[in-house]
Amino acid sequence: MDSGIFHTTYEKDMALRRTPAQKVRLVLLIAFLLVFPFLANRYYLTLANQVAIAVIGAVGLNILTGYTGQISLGQGGFMAVGAYSAGILTARLGMPWWGSTIAACFITALIGTFFGIPSLRLKGLYLAIATLAAQEIIIWVVTHWRALTGGVDALVVPDPVSFGIRINSDFNFYWVAWSIVGIVTIAAVNLFRTPYGRAFIAIRDQDIAASVMGVDLFKYKLLAFAISSFLVGLAGALTAHYRNIVTWERFTIDISVLYLAMIIIGGLGSITGSYLGATFITLLPAVLTNLGRALKSTFPAIDSVLPFIQQATFGLVIILFLIFEPEGLNKIWKNIKDYFRLWPFSY
Amino acid sequence: MSRTTKWLVFMLILSAALLSGCGGQESGGEAAPIKVGAIFDLTGPTSDVGTPYAEGVKGFVEWKNANGGLAGRPIELISSDYGYKVDQAEQLYSQYVQEGVVAFMGWGTGDTEALRTKIAADKIPFMSASYSANLLDMEVAPYNFLVGTSYSDQAIIAIRWAMDDWASKGNSDKLNVVLIHHDSPFGQSPVPDAQAFAEANGVGFTDIAMPKGATDYVAELAQIQQFGAQYVIIQNVSSPAAVLLKDAKSQGFDAQFICLNWCADEILLNLAGDAAEGVMGTIPFTPPSSPVPGHEAPDAWLKQNGSSLAEKGLHYSQGWWTMAVMAHGIELVIQDGKEVTGENVRAALESIQDFDTGGITDPISFSPTSHRGSTSLRLFQVQGGKWTQASDYISADQ
Repeated sequence: MDSGIFHTTYEKDMALRRTPAQKVRLVLLIAFLLVFPFLANRYYLTLANQVAIAVIGAVGLNILTGYTGQISLGQGGFMAVGAYSAGILTARLGMPWWGSTIAACFITALIGTFFGIPSLRLKGLYLAIATLAAQEIIIWVVTHWRALTGGVDALVVPDPVSFGIRINSDFNFYWVAWSIVGIVTIAAVNLFRTPYGRAFIAIRDQDIAASVMGVDLFKYKLLAFAISSFLVGLAGALTAHYRNIVTWERFTIDISVLYLAMIIIGGLGSITGSYLGATFITLLPAVLTNLGRALKSTFPAIDSVLPFIQQATFGLVIILFLIFEPEGLNKIWKNIKDYFRLWPFSY
Repeated sequence: MSRTTKWLVFMLILSAALLSGCGGQESGGEAAPIKVGAIFDLTGPTSDVGTPYAEGVKGFVEWKNANGGLAGRPIELISSDYGYKVDQAEQLYSQYVQEGVVAFMGWGTGDTEALRTKIAADKIPFMSASYSANLLDMEVAPYNFLVGTSYSDQAIIAIRWAMDDWASKGNSDKLNVVLIHHDSPFGQSPVPDAQAFAEANGVGFTDIAMPKGATDYVAELAQIQQFGAQYVIIQNVSSPAAVLLKDAKSQGFDAQFICLNWCADEILLNLAGDAAEGVMGTIPFTPPSSPVPGHEAPDAWLKQNGSSLAEKGLHYSQGWWTMAVMAHGIELVIQDGKEVTGENVRAALESIQDFDTGGITDPISFSPTSHRGSTSLRLFQVQGGKWTQASDYISADQ
C-alpha cells in the first residue's frame, strides 16, 4: 500500500510520467485516439476535430493566462489573424496548406507580441481591457481592409491537398489535427521544465520577486505573448483549412470569452486542464442538444422552451462546476485519481 | 457517496447523454419520411425575428404533414436552436447530414457563409433567410437557393422607385441616395451593386456604416444631410433602424427613408411608433396587413392552433413560404419517381418555373444557371401604423 509517491532519483522526479498508472493512462488515451476515427461517424469526427482545435487554442491561452498570469481577451482576434493569414497565403499566393499554417503561426506570434507590449505597464483588469482593444482592432481591420482580407465577404480557402489526399475531410483532418495536438502537448509540457517556463510561472506568482531574481520581465512577458499567440494562430489556421472558409463572425469577442471559460473551467496553469476545459466547453452544447432531443420525444410539450432551458443549463453547469471545484476540471480529475489510488482504504 | 463519486456519476451521465445522440438510421421505403435539417436562432442576437421565422418553417411542415405530406411521404424536420454561433451551426449541420437529411434550412449570414463550401461538397440544397447576392455565384455557392429578393436587388429596386418618385414630384435637380447599413457582411452586401446601379443612372450615391451598439445616429444624419440625400436606404435590423428614424424625426430631417427587408417589419412599427410613419419598405414577403391568398393557409393553420398570422407577423409567412419552396422541390423529385437525394432535389428546384406563392412573393423561378428565386417585389409604406402596399411589382432587371 502506497502512503504517497516518493522519488529516489532526480531522473524519476523530473520525469513527465512518474507513476505506472500515469503511463497506463497515457497508453490508453493514445490507443483510444487511434481507434476512435474508425468507429466514429462523421458527426463525432466533426466534434473531435472541433475539440482538437479548441485544445490547441486553449493550451495557447493557458500558457499566457494560466501560467504567466497575463489575462487576455484577445483570443478571438488572434485566432482571426491566424485564420486570415493562412487563408490569404493559400488562396491568393497559392501556398501549400502546411506552409501557410506555419507562416500564419509566426505572423500571429508577431502581432500577439505587438499587442502584448501594454502588458509591461498594465496588469489584471487593465490588461484585460487592453487586450479587449486588440480584439476589436483586429476584427475592425479584418472587416475593413478589403484589399487584403476581402472585407466582410467570406474568404474561401481552397481544399488543402497533400500527396493527392484531401486533408480536410473529417476523417483525414482528424489525423492532422490530433497529431498537431500531440506535438503541441509535448512542447507545452516541456516548456514548463525549462528556465523559460519557470520564468513565466515566477512572473505569474509575483512579478516583482521574479524581477529581483533576475527574470527580465520585458523579455519574458513578450515571449509569453509570442508563444501563446503562436499556438492560437495555429488553431485559427487549422480552422481556416478545415472549414475552407474564413468569416470574421467566427472570431468575435464571444470566442475570447469562451476560451477564457475553457481554461478557467479546465484549470488555470495546467495542460491537462486545457484539454478537459476545451473538451467540456465544445461538447457541452452538443450534449445539451442531444439530451434536449431525447427529452422532446418523451415530453413534446417542452419543445418551445427547450432552447432556453439549454442556454440556462449551459450557464448553470459552469456555475456549479466553479462552486464545487473552483480549481477546475483538472482538480476534479486529480481527486478522482487520488480516490482510486487509495481505494478502498482512503484515510 | 463521497464528492468524488458524485462527480464521477455526473460525468458518466454526461457522456451517456452524448452517446444517446447516436441513434440508429432508418432505411428508406415507400412512405419513409423525408428528412430535412434546420437550424434556427431562438436565443441569440437575431432571435426576435428568428423565432417567428422558425415557427413558420415548422408550421409549414406540420401543416403539410397534416395534409398528406409530400406525395404521401411525411417531412421529418430535424431542427435545433444554434444561438447564431458558427461552431454550433457546424456541429448541428454535420449531425443532421450524418442522419441523412436531403435538404437544409439555415438562418443568418453567419451560418450560411460558414457552411456554403461544406454544403457544396455534400450536395445538400440550402435555403436561408440571408439574401446576400454573393450566394448567387454558382461557382462558390452551387447549392444555395435564394427565395427572397437579394439585398442587392432590393437596393436597386429602392433606387429605381426613388428615381420615379423624385421625377413624379416634378423635381429636376440631381437625385442623391444614401445607403446606411449595418457594419457587417449582411449590411455591406448590397453596397457594390447599388453603387454601380446608381452611378449608371446618374444618381449621386454614398454609403455610411452604422456603428455597432450606437445609442444615437445624429452624426450619421449630419453626414446624410451634408451629402444632400433626398432618399435614404436602410439595410439594418429593426432596432437600430428605429433609433435612426426617431433621431431623424426629432431633428426634423425630411428625407424619405426606405427600409430593406430586415427592418421593414412589424417590429419596426412597434419600436419607432410615429417616427416610422411614411417610411417605405422593400418587402419580398407580403406582410399580413395587406392580405393575399398566400396568407390564408398559414393563418388558418395558426387559428386552428390558437394564434393568428396577424399576431405572428410577416416573418412567419417568410419561413412558411421558404420551406414551401424547398418542399415543392422535394415533391417534384418524388413525383418523378426518382430517389430523394440532395443532387436530385437541386435539379428539381432548378426546374421550378413560376411557382405561385399566392401573392406572398413574385412567382419563384430557378434555373441551372441562376438560383435567384425572384427579382422583383412590391414596396410598402407605413400608413396609420401599418404596412400598406404602395407600388406594383418593380423588377431589379428591366
